[in-house]
Amino acid sequence: MLANAWNKIKDWFRDRNDRNETVRDWNNSAKDAFIAGIVPAFLKSRITKGNSKYKHKFSHTFNTGFRVEVLAGRPLTRDDLIFLGDVILGDTSLVRKLVVLGFDTLEVHGENDSYGLQWQLITYLELGS
Amino acid sequence: MAKEIQNPNQQQTLEKKADKNQENNSNLNVWTIISLVEFVLILFLLFRLFKRKEKPTSSNKAFSRDEIVNEKIDYENILKSSFQARDLYDKLKKKCHPDRFPTDLELNKIADELFQEIQKNKTNLKRLEELKNEAILKLKISF
Repeated sequence: MLANAWNKIKDWFRDRNDRNETVRDWNNSAKDAFIAGIVPAFLKSRITKGNSKYKHKFSHTFNTGFRVEVLAGRPLTRDDLIFLGDVILGDTSLVRKLVVLGFDTLEVHGENDSYGLQWQLITYLELGS
Repeated sequence: MAKEIQNPNQQQTLEKKADKNQENNSNLNVWTIISLVEFVLILFLLFRLFKRKEKPTSSNKAFSRDEIVNEKIDYENILKSSFQARDLYDKLKKKCHPDRFPTDLELNKIADELFQEIQKNKTNLKRLEELKNEAILKLKISF
């Protein structure tokens, strides 16, 4: 039982590390792309509280939201946010990774948390693929 | 005489020390209780954390989890697609629509397949660019 408990503690810290690494990798790529002029806005990601209604089997106890903030210098329309969400959810590898790491909510927000949308990640997971 | 004079002061200091010790003991008791309560709380939270039965076994989880977590994600494609995929998709769907090739059955078939692929990958810039090159080659169109 002690060995099991110890393994669970190790897994918990490993999950935290992997989650932070995912956010870090995203932010580094976004920063490089923005500085190089490849994209016109900085898409900054961070971990948030998430939506408790979207919980699934692998959801973490706390902070299950993966938020992407679009720092474009202008307000974004609802269509822009929806398209951005579709792009992220269209990458099945990323969605699978986020679900396995305990995230259950994808959030896309404009600047200064002005307006945002949420998606339940598990519904976009292609099981068996 | 000297002894008698000292005694009351000594007694006072002894009384003061006793009071202070009692006070310290009561403080210690309070902190002991608080630490015990914290310890019980930590145990309770750990118990809740380990209680979940439905999680998959650690060996199976480790095998598929590591594979999924270590998979390389093309963040650059996702970021570029966010801003450039929509325009390319709009161009491709106009140029590669099967109705543009009504007479030639072979080209119509190729256009139909390409169009379906374009519809499936409307948010994936990399794939759309591959389909664009394919359309230029097979359908002999220019953009």
